[in-house]
Amino acid sequence: MTNKNFLKIENISKSFGKIKVLENINLNISKSEFFGLLGSSGSGKTTLLRILGGFEIPDSGRIYLDGLDITNLEPFERPLNYMFQSYALFPHLNVFNNLAFGIKDHFDKNEISLKVNEISKLLSIENLLNRRIKQLSGGEQQRVALGRCLIKKPKLLLLDEPLAALDKKLRTKTQLELTSLQKQLEITFVFVTHDQEEAMSLSDRMAIMKNGNILECSSPEEIYENPKNTYTANFVGIANIFELKKKNENYFSNELNTQFEISKNELNENFNILLRPEKIKIIKKNNTDTKNLNSVEGTIIEKSYLGSFTRYEVKCNEKIISVIDQNYNDNTNYNFPVGEQVICSWSKESVKILED
Amino acid sequence: MKKKPFEKYFILSPYIWLVLFFFIPLAIIFKISISVSEWGMPPYQDIFVNNDGFKINITLENYLYILSDFYYIRSFLNSIVLAFISTFFCILIGFPLAFYIATSDIKLRNILLILVIIPFWSSFLLRVYAWKIILQNNGILNLILLKLGIISEPLQLLYNQYAVIMGIVYTYLPLMILPLYGYLNKFDLNLIDASKDLGLNRIKSFFRVILPLSLPGIIAGSLLVFIPVVGEFIIPEMLGGSDKLYYGKILWEEFFVNRNWPGASALAFTGIIVLVLPIIIFQIIYSKWTVKNEI
Repeated sequence: MTNKNFLKIENISKSFGKIKVLENINLNISKSEFFGLLGSSGSGKTTLLRILGGFEIPDSGRIYLDGLDITNLEPFERPLNYMFQSYALFPHLNVFNNLAFGIKDHFDKNEISLKVNEISKLLSIENLLNRRIKQLSGGEQQRVALGRCLIKKPKLLLLDEPLAALDKKLRTKTQLELTSLQKQLEITFVFVTHDQEEAMSLSDRMAIMKNGNILECSSPEEIYENPKNTYTANFVGIANIFELKKKNENYFSNELNTQFEISKNELNENFNILLRPEKIKIIKKNNTDTKNLNSVEGTIIEKSYLGSFTRYEVKCNEKIISVIDQNYNDNTNYNFPVGEQVICSWSKESVKILED
Repeated sequence: MKKKPFEKYFILSPYIWLVLFFFIPLAIIFKISISVSEWGMPPYQDIFVNNDGFKINITLENYLYILSDFYYIRSFLNSIVLAFISTFFCILIGFPLAFYIATSDIKLRNILLILVIIPFWSSFLLRVYAWKIILQNNGILNLILLKLGIISEPLQLLYNQYAVIMGIVYTYLPLMILPLYGYLNKFDLNLIDASKDLGLNRIKSFFRVILPLSLPGIIAGSLLVFIPVVGEFIIPEMLGGSDKLYYGKILWEEFFVNRNWPGASALAFTGIIVLVLPIIIFQIIYSKWTVKNEI
């Protein structure tokens, strides 16, 4: 990326009364990056976005956008735009005037209608220009809200739960459109979401927030495959987490009553490891099998067939582990019944050590 | 869907109320207004006379009399102007108050709403009379101003049109605040943030977003204030002087002092037509406009 510190968030803290909402947040976001802030409610993600938009003033810290200190600028002075979760479209204006709202004072009539036409073509809403806001579907409203921001050609677009108000099918479609639009326009997008799938599919990089802190900040792949801590591992995707104990240079799980191999030497006596469900191979147990390393016997107690894959809950010793089994063409194993005795196995590279 | 008989009659009840207490009295007033006046009790002649054959005994004289004398027209115009000024000040004071109430948190909001409503619980006459005590020459306000040395002799605050306007604005303010609050309460505050985000400062944001969206509330409140103020009798009578004559007062005088019932009725009926007709037309156009624009 050409400009690594395009948006620089420095030591931002914010309290509402006695409640600390943000604690010393630091983030650097590159130009043209699609950046996600992921967290559950109360994590401070929306407050951070509102601070970027200028609707809240931080107690301390500074924000720089493209080298300009915007910390104390009014929302209308900032070269950025904010897309509200409720879209906040003006009900007394039609689509055309909603789109033109932010450029009305700066251009003459012809230029305005040119710009509105251009943006409505881009978002394929050119046949809606005379409609009232209440006559629009949720997806159309979302496009108008997006168009109303993009027409101003902002340096940064902030999106608050951009897909939350859409139904599931539309959401997937809009996700794809949003990413391609962002790449096409090369505008920096920062968005907030509580939905991990949405965060993963949209973001170039994402930050996981909890209680006003950023726990991790990395690419979706890195966060999914190599999360640093238990909270992140559980929050993003499905996680099997086991506690390992060191026993004479070997690592042993009491919960599973089995021995693990790990790829690097761990110094701690006790630590947690992560094993993602799709990394576990599941086969029917034969009586002739001998017990191997990196595997465990169990009984299937729950099964959900989801078309392209099947999710099993397998009780192994005293622990229940989740396993996701892809329905390959040549996979004759995909349909284990509940109660089946199985063996779950994994490679040692799939075992990830968590820091806490 | 088929309505149960009970529901049908239940829906009818407001119409029955309207007929009994609005249309019938209005018809009686109209009847008196076209009667010939005379000395006696009641002070007008019947409109159907049946001694030497049936005869309809009506006249338009009462109306012609009102329209020919500028005295009546001028007092009516005074009342209209008074109503416009009072409504304007009610909006000016009521809007920020209603906005503040609607946007404050729920606990404070309820307290403020009660404070707005509380004056309704005390007698209207007493409240207007209280202003008399405050504003009179040896009243509280003059006393304070004298003590503070701001003035050297008492100001004549009472018995002029300014006292009347003040009294009306004070009395009718809740009627402006409550419907406005009703509309502003539904207002999505994100719209203000959105307009700022799109580059509008506070003033522009007010005129382009807040004002147009609260227009229905302003209109509802204005009608509630404007219409009764035109016919207001007590406040001009108690706080006003002889500098301005108002419609309510001459109506009273015509009826009780001059005992000219047909003239007073004609005056009342003209007032209704002149005042209510434009408002009805306005309401029809306005409601069509709001339906079209889905506000």
